[in-house]
Amino acid sequence: MNHLNDQELMRIVQGGDLSPASEIYDRYSGRIYNFAFRFLKNAEAAEDAVQEVFVKMIRHANQFHGDAKLSTWLFSITANWCRDYLRKADNKVKETEEVLISLPAPAEYGPDRTLEQRENEVRVQRALQALTPEQREAILLSRYQGLSYAEIAQIAGCSEGAVKTRVFRAMETLKKALTADTRGGDRWLNAVQ
Amino acid sequence: MAECSAMKESFPLLLTESLDAQTREASHLHIENCAKCADEWNGMKEAWRLMGELPELEPPARIKQRFLAEIGVAEQKTNVVPFHRRPAFKWLSQAAAVVILAGGSYFVGHRSQPIHVQPTGVASVERIPAAPIQPAAFSIAETRTIDAANINPNIEGRPDIQNVQFSDVDPNDDQIQLAFDVTQHVTVTGARNDKSMVRLMAYVMENEDRMSPTRSRAIDWVRQTYTPDKSTSPEIAQALAKVLRNDTHEGVRIKAVDALKTMPTTSGDTREALIAALKNDPNPAVRIKAVDALAKLAASGQLDSAAVDMLRQKAMQDDENVYVRTRAAEALGKIHP
Repeated sequence: MNHLNDQELMRIVQGGDLSPASEIYDRYSGRIYNFAFRFLKNAEAAEDAVQEVFVKMIRHANQFHGDAKLSTWLFSITANWCRDYLRKADNKVKETEEVLISLPAPAEYGPDRTLEQRENEVRVQRALQALTPEQREAILLSRYQGLSYAEIAQIAGCSEGAVKTRVFRAMETLKKALTADTRGGDRWLNAVQ
Repeated sequence: MAECSAMKESFPLLLTESLDAQTREASHLHIENCAKCADEWNGMKEAWRLMGELPELEPPARIKQRFLAEIGVAEQKTNVVPFHRRPAFKWLSQAAAVVILAGGSYFVGHRSQPIHVQPTGVASVERIPAAPIQPAAFSIAETRTIDAANINPNIEGRPDIQNVQFSDVDPNDDQIQLAFDVTQHVTVTGARNDKSMVRLMAYVMENEDRMSPTRSRAIDWVRQTYTPDKSTSPEIAQALAKVLRNDTHEGVRIKAVDALKTMPTTSGDTREALIAALKNDPNPAVRIKAVDALAKLAASGQLDSAAVDMLRQKAMQDDENVYVRTRAAEALGKIHP
């Protein structure tokens, strides 16, 4: 299966043979999981997102027409799922310690991961949560998934110009949060959260 | 000024190297000659670099297993730990305790067929009513063998049938077997503290491998439903303690601690589970929650010396997470002001 491209795999699925599901999962689950985890700051919700996105991909395979990349389609489903999740009031996480809650156990990291890296990671996670969901979605897709503004616009259902503005505003906020001295940055984050 | 503003907006594109060569060159030229933009650019570059500190996480293997199971595709990789069916007696001992309802009918994969339930006074199973068929006992159990004569030949509603196996135990007779898993939608109603209801709730919370979409919803539900009330069955707290000890997901364990905090009375088992979580849980947030729960117990006069010792140990432990240490110290301060 791994010699087939995404479109070919999806055509097999559309024909009713689900055997490529595992291969497609292997190709995209990591990206989907990391996007959902960073967007929602909740590992359990990210797990649910991955499972439900791939189930939806199979159940609605015929809605994939091949004119967009499979990755764009999958991120559209993921972003929708995450937006729905955040809309539910119960799922808003604000407490500082929620950052810790959402982080994987130290054992999941390599031994070479330093305390400083861990601290930076917490700061980045907190800074990302200070963004609006629209800004966060745009910057995550741009910075970590390497998607073009056109692709992000398709996923977010907005214009490329709007994506450009969202990414810029996100970067301005992140710059303020991350590049001030640690104490100043934290003070700033505490003020906005 | 307008040029600076437009320039700044394109900084993210410069960072992703998405600008064409000419615009990129012009941007860098502008940055070199404009102190304000240079400052802005350096700040964004640094933030961009720091964002790279977030590690790429591997999605847990269980997600793939659940996904493939849900769409009915077998896992093909040989390095995956095989799923072993638990011995029937273990399941049955749990299931038998859950709900045993006399009367009614079991009907494989047939949502529109009737099940007649004899009133038990404790719980009932509701099914969509239809024409009556031969009464049979109904229980929530993993496996059962049914004579084909007891199955309604009209299969309606396209039941979702999986894991199909065919067998012919004795080729000399006319009997064959068709085994499968089938999803039914069953509604059990009963009083909050009805024994069957409590045990069903405990089963749902404890069996993460069999729950969809997420067992933490069960804990949320327990927390909302079993309000601080002396009549709440202690089995609910015991089930939560078991979840705290055994669940693989830190988010679920955190919810278990939060729910335990709302329980009216705390058994020794629950206290031990909280102490064990504070001592051994790999996630610092779970340990923080355990500290909070133990502090709450202290406030209600339910804390023993073992718990105080553990809080003291955590407050002084050099290699413990600083948040956990601080929280433990704060809790001790409230216990012994």
